[in-house]
Amino acid sequence: MRSIDRLFEKSSRAIAQRTSRRSLIAALGKMLTGAALIPLLPIDRSARAAEPAAPAKGHVQSKAVTDDPKSCDYWKYCAIDGFLCSCCGGSSNSCPPGTQPSPITWIGTCHNPGDGRDYIVSYNDCCGKVSCSNCECNRNEREKPMYRPSRNNDLNWCMANADSNYHCSVSVILGVAEK
Amino acid sequence: MNTIIIRAALLSLATCTPLLAAPPLPAEHLTITTLAPNTAHRIYVVDEAFLNEIDSRVHIFDGDTYRRLGQIDAGFNPGFNLSPDGKTSIVGTTYFSRGSRGTRTDVVEFTDNSTLKVTHEIVLPSKRAMTLPTYFNLGFSSDSRFVYVSYVTPAASFGVLDPAKNTVIDEIDTAGCVLVIASGPNRVSSICENGKLLTVTLDAQGHEASRAFSDAFFDADRDPIFVQGVPMTNGYAFISFLGDVHEVDFSGAAPVIHEPWSLVGAAEKGVWRPGGTQMGALHRHMNRLYVAMHRGGEGTHKDGGTEIWVFDAANHQRIARWPVAAHKLSHVLAVQVSQDDAPVLFAATDTSDVAVFDALTGQLRHVEKQLGQTPWLILNP
Repeated sequence: MRSIDRLFEKSSRAIAQRTSRRSLIAALGKMLTGAALIPLLPIDRSARAAEPAAPAKGHVQSKAVTDDPKSCDYWKYCAIDGFLCSCCGGSSNSCPPGTQPSPITWIGTCHNPGDGRDYIVSYNDCCGKVSCSNCECNRNEREKPMYRPSRNNDLNWCMANADSNYHCSVSVILGVAEK
Repeated sequence: MNTIIIRAALLSLATCTPLLAAPPLPAEHLTITTLAPNTAHRIYVVDEAFLNEIDSRVHIFDGDTYRRLGQIDAGFNPGFNLSPDGKTSIVGTTYFSRGSRGTRTDVVEFTDNSTLKVTHEIVLPSKRAMTLPTYFNLGFSSDSRFVYVSYVTPAASFGVLDPAKNTVIDEIDTAGCVLVIASGPNRVSSICENGKLLTVTLDAQGHEASRAFSDAFFDADRDPIFVQGVPMTNGYAFISFLGDVHEVDFSGAAPVIHEPWSLVGAAEKGVWRPGGTQMGALHRHMNRLYVAMHRGGEGTHKDGGTEIWVFDAANHQRIARWPVAAHKLSHVLAVQVSQDDAPVLFAATDTSDVAVFDALTGQLRHVEKQLGQTPWLILNP
């Protein structure tokens, strides 16, 4: 565990870390879960169109995308800000034992270099235990401030859970983003 | 051989004699340290304790002696603010009945800043906005008659509290706009996704009397503003991801939004960006604006600054660039400046250090290592 921690500490993203975190939408919350995500897709696409995710001129990025779900550089984690559930007893799309997934989420669009497609992903927080504290990851591609909650990862998306303590975050593929 | 032993014994005796003759240390009395009166260089550092988030704290630190003066406990995912006179701290936080789990209780706790004791509390509905600490998670009205608390469930609203009676007076819906920007004795503004400010004016009892939207002044798609503000004499400046400065005067019945100006020139736009949790601070009398800046592209708005840029906020000219790597500091997430005539600039880094600079020259005076886990907000009375 410690070696993994150290590895992440050395990554450029982990250094940028510690700013904030988390997850997304709710209130509509418990009602909205699955169905509500569909209306959010247009928001997602427009946000993506707003500013290119490619590095700006002069920007030096060491963001080699990996296929390791325990790495912050895993492609599905492009707007995750929290602890990776993959390093906490869960997986990239599964909450650790004894926790509960948040019914409300924030949304991202991430590019999978493996197949060249863009995917809409739902970032859910896993709730009910104290911070996992392992594999902290802070990536914010197309992330927006909390006045646009569906795109904000600073909110504690465990907020609507019976037990709203935040433990870690997962990234769940919802579907391919339309071009 | 015997001579050597005798000499050694004599030397030993001579050396020890003064110690043997010294009086014993007096018995000590256990006391509680009294906090000295506030100074211009005292800061409140909000440590979100992200690695064990149910145990956040606020550290009180002296920028002259570099001593840690005390601590205010802050529970889970807290908001924090100071009263207009600086004598009271308020923590908006959440506790679970079994430590990390169990029944959730949202509460605002009031701390006397002269004793660091919690004096009273107001229990909230379980709606408190759980997010990064900013100036606007909760705050006092200018006369301290009311306290406002941001709610997100994620439906957005805010609570109006009566700190004299320890009651929640009302909950006011904000039509999706978020946070509480307190102004005057009875106004609360919130930031909206459509780039406007919603301002709710309260009546004397703390209930909504009227509401109005400003014109849109930012574009959440093209160039969103951070939800962190920079306190100015009559309001706040809001900095955008690409470095525009939107100054808003909150002193009147409705906010007055000024034409934005940019921290970066045309060649730097999109290359150098502000970032972090508290990216800017203003010395209001001198009109000097300090901003944590980094090179980066889209998605780097939470990256800390590799440099602190200093501006004359009156004429919008950059005065200085202070690279922090020169001092072996990591990236700067939060900056704050004292408001006296010999100002001190504080900079919290993403490795949890807080650096103390001469705010006029940029000279580094001190680095306080590991001032908490995740120091993301610095306030000063």
